[in-house]
Amino acid sequence: MKKLIALLLALVMALSLVACGATEEPAADAPAADAPAAEAPAADAATGSVYYLNFKPEADAAWQELAAQYTAETGVPVKVVTAAGGEYSSTLNAEMAKDSAPTLFQCGNMAGLKDWDEYCLDLTGTDFAAELTTDAFNLYNADGALKCVGYCYECFGIITNIELLEKAGYTVADITDFASLKAVAEDITARSAELGFSAFSSAGLDSSSSWRFSGHLANMPLFYEFRDDGVTEAPATITGAYLDNYRNIWDLYINNSTCTGAELNGKTGDNSKADFTEGKAVFYQNGSWEYAGLIEAGMDAAKLTMLPIYCGVEGEADAGLCSGTENCWAVNAKASEADQKATLDFMTWVVTSDAGTTMMAEQFGPIPFKAAKTPENVFFAAANDLTAAGKYVVTWAFNHTPNVDSWRATVVTALAAYSADPTDANWEAVETAFVDGWAYEYSVVNG
Amino acid sequence: MAKSKKSSSVNLVQRPIKKWAPLFILPTFAAFLIGFVWPFIQGIYLSFCNFNIPTDAKWVGLDNYAKVFKDAGFLNAFWNTAAFAVVSIILINVLAFFIAYALTQKMRGANIFRTVFFMPNLIGGVVLGYIWSMIFDGILKNYATYLTANPTYGFWGLVILVAWQQIGYMMIIYIAGLQAVPEDMLEAARIDGATGSQTLFRVIIPNVMPSITTCTFLTLTNSFKMFDQNMALTGGMPSIMENGAKINATELLALNIFSTYNISKNYHGVAQAKAVIFFILVAVLAITQQYMTRSKEVQQ
Amino acid sequence: MKKKINDQYTPLSKALSVFFAVLSVVWLIPIFEVVINSLKKNEYVNLDPFALPNEESFVGFANYVKGMTFGNYPFLQSVAYSLFITVASVALILLFCSMSAWYIARVNSTMSNIFYYLCLFSMIVPFQMVMFTLTFTADKLNLNTPYTIPIVYLGFGAGLAIFMFLGFVKGLPLEIEEAASIDGCGPVRTFFNVVLPMLKPTLISVGILELMWVWNDYLLPYLVLDRTKYMTIPIHVQYLKGSYGTVDLGATMAVIMLSIIPIIIVYMFCQKHIIKGVAAGAVKG
Repeated sequence: MKKLIALLLALVMALSLVACGATEEPAADAPAADAPAAEAPAADAATGSVYYLNFKPEADAAWQELAAQYTAETGVPVKVVTAAGGEYSSTLNAEMAKDSAPTLFQCGNMAGLKDWDEYCLDLTGTDFAAELTTDAFNLYNADGALKCVGYCYECFGIITNIELLEKAGYTVADITDFASLKAVAEDITARSAELGFSAFSSAGLDSSSSWRFSGHLANMPLFYEFRDDGVTEAPATITGAYLDNYRNIWDLYINNSTCTGAELNGKTGDNSKADFTEGKAVFYQNGSWEYAGLIEAGMDAAKLTMLPIYCGVEGEADAGLCSGTENCWAVNAKASEADQKATLDFMTWVVTSDAGTTMMAEQFGPIPFKAAKTPENVFFAAANDLTAAGKYVVTWAFNHTPNVDSWRATVVTALAAYSADPTDANWEAVETAFVDGWAYEYSVVNG
Repeated sequence: MAKSKKSSSVNLVQRPIKKWAPLFILPTFAAFLIGFVWPFIQGIYLSFCNFNIPTDAKWVGLDNYAKVFKDAGFLNAFWNTAAFAVVSIILINVLAFFIAYALTQKMRGANIFRTVFFMPNLIGGVVLGYIWSMIFDGILKNYATYLTANPTYGFWGLVILVAWQQIGYMMIIYIAGLQAVPEDMLEAARIDGATGSQTLFRVIIPNVMPSITTCTFLTLTNSFKMFDQNMALTGGMPSIMENGAKINATELLALNIFSTYNISKNYHGVAQAKAVIFFILVAVLAITQQYMTRSKEVQQ
Repeated sequence: MKKKINDQYTPLSKALSVFFAVLSVVWLIPIFEVVINSLKKNEYVNLDPFALPNEESFVGFANYVKGMTFGNYPFLQSVAYSLFITVASVALILLFCSMSAWYIARVNSTMSNIFYYLCLFSMIVPFQMVMFTLTFTADKLNLNTPYTIPIVYLGFGAGLAIFMFLGFVKGLPLEIEEAASIDGCGPVRTFFNVVLPMLKPTLISVGILELMWVWNDYLLPYLVLDRTKYMTIPIHVQYLKGSYGTVDLGATMAVIMLSIIPIIIVYMFCQKHIIKGVAAGAVKG
């Protein structure tokens, strides 16, 4: 009995002590929080400050530089922090729980918006929103408020080495649909020993590159299904009506690649890229963001283009590249008003000033703002040419994916098993992962 | 558990110390409140709430717990953990005991071997996970497969990793136990003409029973709390659909709790409820150990 | 140690020696693997991790250079944080927990009883139970930096440490302390001049156990530290592997090698203490 009383007493003491601590602490908290950022001018409560939680590790250096320049020009402190790759959502979760939470963060799809809606400031009518040239990449919540603004867009497709293609006796114009893509790829495979290269670079299912297939390639069946069904927001279930087409293109990738299907599981994104830059493969499925890396690896911009992904859907000769974005900015609605204003000013400056737009063009390609600079990226040129020729844009249907990382992981598992042993039974597992997995993840997120 | 009665002369020492309580006990007690007591109490409370951060917690009663018991991933992680615990307890303890037994015999190089076997303990779980995932993938590559292709590989991979890591630790404890076996008992057995196995089972094992209990429960709690190695080796992969629900086939409980928290902020409460259930499980195991050790001591 | 009359090794023991020699070599393969792959070009690590580096695959210390500078975060900074956190935490735990244990052992008050039972209780609580809430508390109180996180370690590690110290302090003869007190020593001097020296073996045991725990700990610093600014070695290794698009196994192995070397050096010098510490800790825990 004595022990019990002692234990209870201890708990009460603990509670009261911590309660005391909690009431005192806001005062003590504020100055200490700024201490590590000593190089920035002390935060002035009246002017506010900016804290940007950046999503793209590869753009970290550029953001830091831009932030420093803005601070030097205006005196407003801008802190840019970059989450480690694949850790954005957990970092955002952790940071948002803090007193000094990010004022500007990334919220790239409807599922994310649903999660963070109460944290997203309504951007309708702001000076920043007035700079936009299109509404196509923005996200609106259920009440129609503009919550997230797409600040750049990207396109992906089949990056093609024109020089190698010509060596094999074909031109880009020969590939207009799935049948012609298949014919070219299989012909190259048949003569690969003589040509010295393969059709496709390895479709690595290692976690460093599997998103190219569980995310980007999976966009094809999702896009066509949603187009047929007129889907505009994340559906609770999907039918997988176009999964046979997904299988078509995947079979083509694994049967005409630099390695066997079983080896794919150990292939990384770097392996795949090396296949392409070293001239071992004609085709490399990836996106516009790879441009700088390919040029850096010594490729010639004139020899590069991007083809649409064909998978045997009717009428797909009219398809363009897959264009869209998951790079959307949201302003923290729970930040102080001064901080919100400082953040909006900073965003406006980024998309209007010379320094900002130059950096954006270099890092992100074309941006949907009035003052945008034209980037030199040939893949966007390809996208524009296709659009100009009247082809339809394949939008990013995968932005609707519920609990996206988890859904993709399940698809990758099944896809890897199928690649090692391409039987119908194993393909059924892919379909299950795709369709049932979607329903499951939807119920997890919304249930 | 109760403290021994103290003589009255204690007061000579006790009185003056009492005045110094703020110095002797307050720093630790304050840190203890921050690092343990308060998070524990708050954790119990928040397991009944839906929350992103503690200040926006909304009371939801037993909803979180209901969700936990319907979660196929959690149940799967529980059975994984149980199976893993049983296999690793047996494997580690049997091997560690026999290595310890051999090393306490007269043998050239016993000290070097002991040094080598213990070494893996010094390496952290995350690092171990990455080393072994490279090794397993390197081996499985020859059979055109890889570690996360099949839950069986991941499970046994983790068993091998943990055995490699912990055998040395348990070995040390067994060596200490074996060295404490009274020499005269061994001598007596020798004079009575006992065979090697008779000596082992009738004399040695009963005498090192405390070490065996300690090691068994150490491996048991280690298996239940296993996180770093699990995360770094397979990360719970492969994830597969089973009866309409997704499970991470090689995930153990601690990792399942962690990944539940990261699904979205609506799952923070569910993860905390899982943590409470996990705590109860571990506590029951630990109390069973205390009880068993004590009852043994009484018998002897 | 007693010696038998026949001092020769029996054939059986010789056979065992050979067997264990082979087993020891097998035991070291994983560490050997790290060494050879840290010297190979990334592609060759993927190709066959068991092959020795050859002319083609050998890159010298290029992986080490890459690993040190990889991912916008200098590895040496993580090493420095790891070192500081470990040393400071272990020092705090040893000092304050031995003091508390002595107080609890000598003073029979409600407060010390409460504390004692709470410590016992904390030993059966897994970290998962408190990890999420600890993160919030640590953040509120600014304990999320390498300079303040030792306080969290003191709090979470207090249970086991106090328990181990108590086991020893209870066995100390009171007479010595009484004598000191009669000689006019106050409690502070009694503790530091009389009690603490007698605690030395336990200090070493506890120190070793806590050292191994804090140095290798991943989850606590991962959750508590402000991850956007600070990393420890385990977090850094995980970060290398996790960054997407660039898994460089060669560089990862180099970093792993760098993180293992100091431990092995310490182990070589303090082997006896480490092994004693483990044996002592286990018997009590």
